[in-house]
Amino acid sequence: MRCRRNQSRILRGWLLRLAALLIAGGTSVALAGPYVPADDNEVLAEVSAGTRYSDVSARRLARGRIDVAIPLAEFYIQQSRLNGDLRFLGYAEAVLAPWVKQTPPKADVLALQATLQQSRHEFSASLATLDRALAVRPQDPQALLIRATVLRVLGRYPEAGAACEQFSRLVEPRLAALCIESLRGLNGHLESAYASLIQVSAQGWLNSEKSWLYSELGEMAVRLGREQEAERWFQQDLRLSPTDFYVRAAYADLMLQQGRSAEVLALLAGQESLEPLLLRIAIAQKQLRDPGLGLSCARLRASFAAELQRGDAVHRREQARFLLEVLNQPDLSLAAALENWTVQHEPDDVLVLVHAANAAGNPQAARPALEFVRAQGQSDVRVAAMNPEIAAAR
Amino acid sequence: MNTLRNLGLAFVLLLAGPLAHAHIASNGFLTLRVDGSKIAGAIELAIRDGELAVGLDRDSNGKVTWGELKAGQTPLQNYLQGHLRLAGADGPCRLKFAPVEVNDRVDGTYLWLPLTAECGGTLKRLFIDYTLLDAEDPSHRGLLTLFANGAAQTAVLGGSAGTRQFELNHASAWSAFVEYLRAGIWHIWSGIDHLLFLLSLLLPAVLVRRQNRWEAVPIAGPAFLNIVKVVSAFTLAHSITLSLAAFDVIRLPSRLTESVIAASIIIAALNNVFPRITEGRWRIAFAFGLLHGFGFASVLTEMGLPKGARLISLVAFNLGVETGQLAVVLAVMPLAYLLRATRFYRRGVMPWGSSAIACLALFWFLQRALL
Repeated sequence: MRCRRNQSRILRGWLLRLAALLIAGGTSVALAGPYVPADDNEVLAEVSAGTRYSDVSARRLARGRIDVAIPLAEFYIQQSRLNGDLRFLGYAEAVLAPWVKQTPPKADVLALQATLQQSRHEFSASLATLDRALAVRPQDPQALLIRATVLRVLGRYPEAGAACEQFSRLVEPRLAALCIESLRGLNGHLESAYASLIQVSAQGWLNSEKSWLYSELGEMAVRLGREQEAERWFQQDLRLSPTDFYVRAAYADLMLQQGRSAEVLALLAGQESLEPLLLRIAIAQKQLRDPGLGLSCARLRASFAAELQRGDAVHRREQARFLLEVLNQPDLSLAAALENWTVQHEPDDVLVLVHAANAAGNPQAARPALEFVRAQGQSDVRVAAMNPEIAAAR
Repeated sequence: MNTLRNLGLAFVLLLAGPLAHAHIASNGFLTLRVDGSKIAGAIELAIRDGELAVGLDRDSNGKVTWGELKAGQTPLQNYLQGHLRLAGADGPCRLKFAPVEVNDRVDGTYLWLPLTAECGGTLKRLFIDYTLLDAEDPSHRGLLTLFANGAAQTAVLGGSAGTRQFELNHASAWSAFVEYLRAGIWHIWSGIDHLLFLLSLLLPAVLVRRQNRWEAVPIAGPAFLNIVKVVSAFTLAHSITLSLAAFDVIRLPSRLTESVIAASIIIAALNNVFPRITEGRWRIAFAFGLLHGFGFASVLTEMGLPKGARLISLVAFNLGVETGQLAVVLAVMPLAYLLRATRFYRRGVMPWGSSAIACLALFWFLQRALL
């Protein structure tokens, strides 16, 4: 009981203290501030297709024609998924806006809207939109898969399983297997789920499907403690989709865990503009005492501060890791990790919370996450290594 | 049916699978400083967002260069005139932009446009209508930092919020008083140079100079009187110049005042090692106190005095300085009084402590005067 009270007090104060820390705290390296470039030919930004002013005609067209709006919104969402740029979600939102207001809205439009919301970690809004989409078209595989994904992130595995089941009846067996087995990997059947996903032959699969398979396998292998296998899956995935920042981040985490900081810097070189990757770079720099740490730290601070001011919650888990692994602020990190845990229940969320709680000298604070892990029968060697109780239970 | 399913699925997979999140969403950064009827500040916008809004990539090669950005300033300014509207109670403000610069942020290079606005009458309330990129990217937000009357506020602009209204409350007298009192105390504590000057003058207050030797004062009375004289003279002197500077009657270049402050510490400290002025040290305190006052004023200039509460803030700041100063005197001087007869105090603290202070001050002096 006392522990609970402490937690809520931590939660109340952490936002303010975090804001103060990020905005004012110990800026050893300040960002340079505005300047005048020397050369007229210096390239300041690259603008990709679909984000140029000249594309305005297509966007205008999409306002009146749904057969233009839907593919254009899909294109933007794909771009955001591929290069991890949230701006594209905004462009998709702009294209969808007039069609979301339409009554009755089309199921396709709603499914896309739900995808947008999911990508922004607006999980309850996403689920509500999916309900509306599925009310219009109950057999919509896209809506069902997104629903399964959102519920899985929230740790609501039985409901996610139900969505997967429905999804399975509508799609080819390989996709059904991916949805179901990756979920089984989280609720007590990691070993067998991993084995059966390995059995699935990826022959004839689309690259996007293979990529999903490899990243699931890689993460499962990490949780099983089979690090060499995990590395192979991540490498395979990266060969297939070199721009996939998600798997790059997972691969970097594996390397960090093995103390291969220098390799992390090589893996992530040139990817500093993506905050999750910049976070891994900063952690590696810190371990290597690399002089680049000051700048990485200042940039992360600035972008987390902006996010905090906006009230967005996209990078809560990263904030907790930044506080702990870069800034050495275990108390604040614990508060951020607890806040994150109230929303997300992925294995990495458990890990961050246990790590922060231990570092803050308050292992009891991770109890909710550990109880969840126990109740689900979830196994993760990384968590077990940090928590003797879990290790003993295995 | 089967084909229909497959049609969507390549796409489905791009959406689902592991959760994707990398860049922060699109932000513009707006900083405004209100001064009377005028506003000065800057707006910062990602070059990519500038391209989306007005088209900066003139040769359509997918790259925006510095030359293209400069060439695109006019359409950019026109766009901003339409999408960033500031107004006071008396009507809209006239917005003007200075030449563009750039700034690097995590997610790319930003254009940085300094701006000024004239709003007709003194601003008590500011209306901001921020509609940048509303058609192109509804998730774009303007992160505002607004400075007015010595207080800062932040807000998130754009989205469906519409026109936002900001009260530029003339800080209430009491809150201004507390804020400036605190700033005064803080300044004396963090500005160790003022304290060292005062301490250099106070160290000998518990002693008398007889036959080229320091001897302990026999009773507390004269020591107490010495302390009161020095502290009062210092306080009176710096209060005078602080007020003059705060109300802009006199302004001295900060390099000059900071250097002379360092020099004053050297002189006061050396006077303990090689005594010249042994009686009436309050005169040194007064003379150099005048200069220290200008030093205090530089802090006030940075903070700005809130309109409508200028006098009270000044008094509060000064009171804060005195409070901080007195706390140190009360902590140190009884100890000095108790130790005054010891060899440690007369032969150790007096010459060596003072020499150390002088050395430190010499370092400051060189740093401030030459660098």
